[in-house]
Amino acid sequence: MTIKRTLFLLLALMPVLGWADDAVLSELLTRIRQTGQAQFQYEETRVLELADAPWHGQGVMLSGADGSLVKLQLQPARVIMAIAVQRMLYWDPQQNQRHSAALDSAGPAGEQIKVFRSILQGRTEELQLNYAIAADKQGPQWTLRLTPKPELSSDDLPSIELSGDDQDQQRRILITQPDGESTEYRMHKATAAQQQDYSLPSLLREASGE
Amino acid sequence: MSFVWRKRWFVLLFPLFLAITFWHIKVETDLNAFFTATDDEDSRLLAGLLKSGELSRRYLLVVEKSDHVSAADTINGAENPMSVAAFSARLLSQLAKLDDVEQVWPADQPPRDWVDAVASYAPYHARLFSLNPEQDAPELFDPSQLPAKAAGLKQALLSPQGSFVKAIAKQDPLLLSLNGFKALQGQFQQQAKRSQGGALILQSRPAALDAEAQTRLQAAIQANFAALNAAAGEGFKLSMAGVPVFSVAAQSEISQDVTLVSVVSSLAVALVFLFLFHSFSALHWVMMVQGASFVIGTLATALVFPQVHSLTLALGASLIGISSDYPIHVMVHCAKHRNTPLAAAKLLWPSLLMGGLTTVIGYGALGFTGFPGFEQIAVFALASVVGSLGLTRWVLPALLVNSSLHAAHLPGIGAWVDFCGRHRKILLGLFAASVVMAVLCLPQIRWMSDMQQLAVNMDNLKQQDAAVRAHFSSIEPGRFVLIQADDWETALQRSEAAERRLQSLKQAGVISEYHGLFPWLVSKQLQTENSQVYQHGLTPEFQQAWQTGLAQAGLSVEKLGTLALASPAALQPSVVMDSPVRHILSGQIVSGQTGVMLSLWLGEHDPDKLIAGLAGLDGTRYFSQKDQLDQLAGKYRDRSLVMLGIGIGIMALFIWLQQRDLRKVCLTLLPSLAGVLFIFATWALMGEEVSFLHVIGLLLSVSLCVDYGIFFIDNRGQDADVTYHAIASSTLTTIASFGAMGLGKTPTLPILALSVSLGVSLGFLLCPLLIQKPKN
Repeated sequence: MTIKRTLFLLLALMPVLGWADDAVLSELLTRIRQTGQAQFQYEETRVLELADAPWHGQGVMLSGADGSLVKLQLQPARVIMAIAVQRMLYWDPQQNQRHSAALDSAGPAGEQIKVFRSILQGRTEELQLNYAIAADKQGPQWTLRLTPKPELSSDDLPSIELSGDDQDQQRRILITQPDGESTEYRMHKATAAQQQDYSLPSLLREASGE
Repeated sequence: MSFVWRKRWFVLLFPLFLAITFWHIKVETDLNAFFTATDDEDSRLLAGLLKSGELSRRYLLVVEKSDHVSAADTINGAENPMSVAAFSARLLSQLAKLDDVEQVWPADQPPRDWVDAVASYAPYHARLFSLNPEQDAPELFDPSQLPAKAAGLKQALLSPQGSFVKAIAKQDPLLLSLNGFKALQGQFQQQAKRSQGGALILQSRPAALDAEAQTRLQAAIQANFAALNAAAGEGFKLSMAGVPVFSVAAQSEISQDVTLVSVVSSLAVALVFLFLFHSFSALHWVMMVQGASFVIGTLATALVFPQVHSLTLALGASLIGISSDYPIHVMVHCAKHRNTPLAAAKLLWPSLLMGGLTTVIGYGALGFTGFPGFEQIAVFALASVVGSLGLTRWVLPALLVNSSLHAAHLPGIGAWVDFCGRHRKILLGLFAASVVMAVLCLPQIRWMSDMQQLAVNMDNLKQQDAAVRAHFSSIEPGRFVLIQADDWETALQRSEAAERRLQSLKQAGVISEYHGLFPWLVSKQLQTENSQVYQHGLTPEFQQAWQTGLAQAGLSVEKLGTLALASPAALQPSVVMDSPVRHILSGQIVSGQTGVMLSLWLGEHDPDKLIAGLAGLDGTRYFSQKDQLDQLAGKYRDRSLVMLGIGIGIMALFIWLQQRDLRKVCLTLLPSLAGVLFIFATWALMGEEVSFLHVIGLLLSVSLCVDYGIFFIDNRGQDADVTYHAIASSTLTTIASFGAMGLGKTPTLPILALSVSLGVSLGFLLCPLLIQKPKN
């Protein structure tokens, strides 16, 4: 009888639990939806399959209102990776390597930076095309878990975990590739003073070699 | 058989033959099939290059800022306008969805399957890392370079190409397999500088010469561009180039020509006929006879050749005028002498037969000029002239039994004959002087050396093509190094030897760039050489230095530290050609009838220095499509001159067999030969560039004019005026039908129109001067 009652209660409350989950998801998606310009300081940790130890880097990320995005790596060496409208740009002055490719035909790298842009700029409709999104909120801490939709598993999409707090000053993004490689970004919003240091258009020009 | 039954059989069989022809015929519209000979290996190669291969299915698209917007932007400083690259990327994603598009990619980066293809070479890294392994070994296997290489590998793994590099590094930690592809990467980097993101390459599914599908695709490309451009404020313009663009334009021009020539020729002949005989009934039956001759010619051509070219049908339509000559002779005699059609046909039959024979000889000679399209025309003419002769002799009298004929009196005909008779001596003196002057003019003849002048004029398209190609790599489309061998191994060894020379020539500035086959295809010999150098370089010290370098770079020694021995099995060409790489090499592997033919594409170059630089290499030569076409033009010209001589000789022989009188033979031929001489002299004086087509036109005019001589000398009706009237009538129909070809835009048609019309007109006028008026 106790089991029956528990089951009844669970079944009866399930829709409510679903609404509660939907409400959190909706709130979090609204929270990450980014319009206008933004700048973040970031620290990056990459775990590569062929490396003995995790690789660390740090730099600045600039997000433009028009959808452009610049990831300026400052340590260990200056490297710019960017999206300018529909093109991906890469510039490594140390190795003198410059790449420019249409975003849709830039292969896995293009796909990854597109996902990253969607996360950073809160393009939730793009994310929802390919991902099942689950939300969780514990006190001020929140987490969004993005799992590739099963029917798209052949596309080798990474799993993504996005977390932050109510203050919106810090974020953590963990991207895990199907082959086990992962990239973790710890980001916090740049101060007004820090934001004076870099200009998105000039970095885009540098990346494109203009 | 009674006339009633002859008529019934004709009315029954004509639609039947027409139906069989429609059912059986396959019409070819590819211009090259008509113009390019395939009687030697080079010609076959040229024909193959012109019409087949994936390259021919590719469009080159260039998106640029439209002129007014660029100017407006400059003036107004438009805020954040969409870039060409961004617009091209959107256009690319739209075009990729079209059904007729196999693949579309930006010109400055390889398509995805090319990148995957490069990765598939990693297991063979030790066998194909260098075209000159001995020479490159000191640098590639220098242990002191290894720490830098390991650091570079680490950076590559962290770069946007990380996943691509990782897949290769697992099998080829030193990334040796990428060494040979550096040139390919360089090409795309150069392209990136050149095109600034606005250049796209689109590979269509339908063949380049499938004009209907290509027209549809071009419309779809334009529609997609227009929709995006409208959304972007009409700020961009699109230009297209490529073989399909030309093929659609050429197809359109030829279709228009075929329709125009057929309609105008038929109408002109019908009008001339009505003017001459004032009888719709007779016109109806004669047109039926001509239609039947046309169907017989078409059916015979369709049975002999797998496909009938549309130009054969267009030129064949001009035969309507010739095949109406025989009924006209019968009908003029019938009307003027009040004979029955049967009696007139019987009376004229020997002359008709000889006239038909000489015409067939002329067209037959045409078939041996080597010009592939004219082989079809020769068969067509043979069948339709034979058909027309047979129908004139046995069917026409039955068809005309109830028609009343009134032959028109052509003004000036009798007067010209009388004038020639009265002033014969003076006129002959003038003629002799003109002949001497004409002969003296002949050495001044200018022969056409550029066969392109015979192609449809597409100057606007060519300018657009050049403008579009300026945005792409500087590889020249029609000139390349051709490698030939009996087997793959020899061909690849020769190709590698040629590539080594091209490398030197590039360094010397003789050539700006080239596209070879290494390392996509590598000979077994070079693979063995590479693997030996690799094994030799793979010392324990080298391995140790590599592992140290990896450790310093923070890379896994366990996963990347073991440098494997060279794969025991060589990479076979057959395996490569079964893989997607065959699409990449499409256009460089040339299908010949025997052996293997490979082409190495060339950028801007100095042909003489290049030829000298390749001297001494077996099975390797410089191939220029234009030179080949020009050589063909010269070959055709020589053959057509020979065939003109042979054709005249055979006609003379047949006339002699009939007449057994050498003087009559000479007189019969004289008007047409004099006409040819005067036309050549006029061209020489005018500076007209004379091609083999001009000669072929004159050959045709001789074969037609000889008929006039035959009829005039035979004078079977015993009435020279009636005979000359009949000749005048057939001259008019010939000029009407061939003259219609002058309206065509394909240069072939006006040239033939001019040659034949001038030839028959002069021949006709000279007949009563050179041949004394026969006694009635």
